[in-house]
Amino acid sequence: MENKKEEMAMPKDAVPVAKETKAEAKPMPEEGRAEHKEKKIVIPGDLIAEGRKKLGQHVFIENGKIYSDALGITYPNSGTAYVVPLSGIYLPQRDDLIVGIVERETIKGYMVDINSIYSCYLSADKCRDRLEKGSIVSAKIDSVNEVNEADLFDVRVFYGGTIIRVVPAKVPRMIGKNGSMLAVLKEGTGSSLLIGRNGWIWSKGGDQKKLAEAINLIESEAHLDNLTVKVEAFLKGKKVNE
Amino acid sequence: MAKKDEKIEYVKNGKRLDGRKVDEIRPLKMKVGVLPNADGSAYLEWGQNKVLVGVHGPKEALPKHKQNPYKGLVRFTYRMATFSVPDRKNPRPGRRESEISKVSGEALEKSIFLERFPNCAIDIYVEIFDSNAGSRAAGITAASVALADAGIPMKDLVCAVGVGKAGGEIILDLNKDEEDAPDAVDIPIAIMPRTEEIVLLQMDGPITKPEWNKAVKLGIQGCNQVYEAQKVALREKFAKVEKGK
Repeated sequence: MENKKEEMAMPKDAVPVAKETKAEAKPMPEEGRAEHKEKKIVIPGDLIAEGRKKLGQHVFIENGKIYSDALGITYPNSGTAYVVPLSGIYLPQRDDLIVGIVERETIKGYMVDINSIYSCYLSADKCRDRLEKGSIVSAKIDSVNEVNEADLFDVRVFYGGTIIRVVPAKVPRMIGKNGSMLAVLKEGTGSSLLIGRNGWIWSKGGDQKKLAEAINLIESEAHLDNLTVKVEAFLKGKKVNE
Repeated sequence: MAKKDEKIEYVKNGKRLDGRKVDEIRPLKMKVGVLPNADGSAYLEWGQNKVLVGVHGPKEALPKHKQNPYKGLVRFTYRMATFSVPDRKNPRPGRRESEISKVSGEALEKSIFLERFPNCAIDIYVEIFDSNAGSRAAGITAASVALADAGIPMKDLVCAVGVGKAGGEIILDLNKDEEDAPDAVDIPIAIMPRTEEIVLLQMDGPITKPEWNKAVKLGIQGCNQVYEAQKVALREKFAKVEKGK
């Protein structure tokens, strides 16, 4: 039943990050790739575009020019000016699927740690099961207010399993384009997986050691190309070429 | 160090005591992401100065009465290790450290999009392990790099350098011997290099107006040299991207 849940949650979650994972395509011939995937490292204050362009994330306008506000990667040939940051904390956004840990119980609900600035309040009416300190839940963000406090809905409780923590900025690479990387990870390790947008990954069963290694590999090479192929090779026990 | 009645030539044939030119900074080396438990970190060696910076946050600002619902808070802590100077330094934070923490935090504040983090605080801890004049400039430079490493949205990096006068000459990036000159003037300056907006400017000692103009000009030029080193340090962390292209 858990598997079904993940399948349901995954495609929806993959939609908002699809843009950022543009680079995550199947291997293409070298020449064809260069023009699509020309990328550039930018640091805060670097010029991204001079003219008018659609604005994406982590950019700002000053005197009609577009600048980066973070350390990250940009794609100069893209129609949208945006920067994929290489680090940063998680700020909740509507409809994000997250993994949380119950921090404490209050009179009529629970406080759930979601690896963000604030913990979330979760009303006891919203969940059928009784939770306790340390329970692992997955939930979606219902709404976020102006000081980045979030409300949760669609809460599910997980029994057992462990949580692997990664940098939230690298979660899109963990999921891959249309969930390709997630599928590779599930197949290669045989684990049940749920990747929270907040950088926490719940996993149970399968080859946990291999999973942790694969996730480490993705995290350390999140800015490189052809990662899915590399991880697939790694999980199959082939030697990963540097 | 100079004896009282002994006259030292601080600039001789265009070269200084340590062999540098008047507009040359000391060798500068930076490394990003050195502390695994901090959100962002940097280690800097600038001449004899050694600085380690850790950035934590943004996180909820506590105590609650310090929170500002319109913008975030920058809490900068400058601390000198007891062994950072020739005589043991009392570890108790003194007037000098409080002042440097205040002005450095305010300098960095200018570059951060604080309005995106209402009720939050960003903690910056600057630890000076070895000090040889210009440690506040080193602290600000390293802290700005650490902030970028932490993924905190910023308008620009902040780079700082010390400029001043020794033996009647305007020189860049003074070391301790030059700072101890009888007529020494020390002007730490920090700018945001893209707009050349000055975010920190202090001065001690007497200086004439033409000298001042020359010093500020030289300071901005020095900051740009520091900026290049900052860029290299940040890009180095992801050098693989360019290799993989």
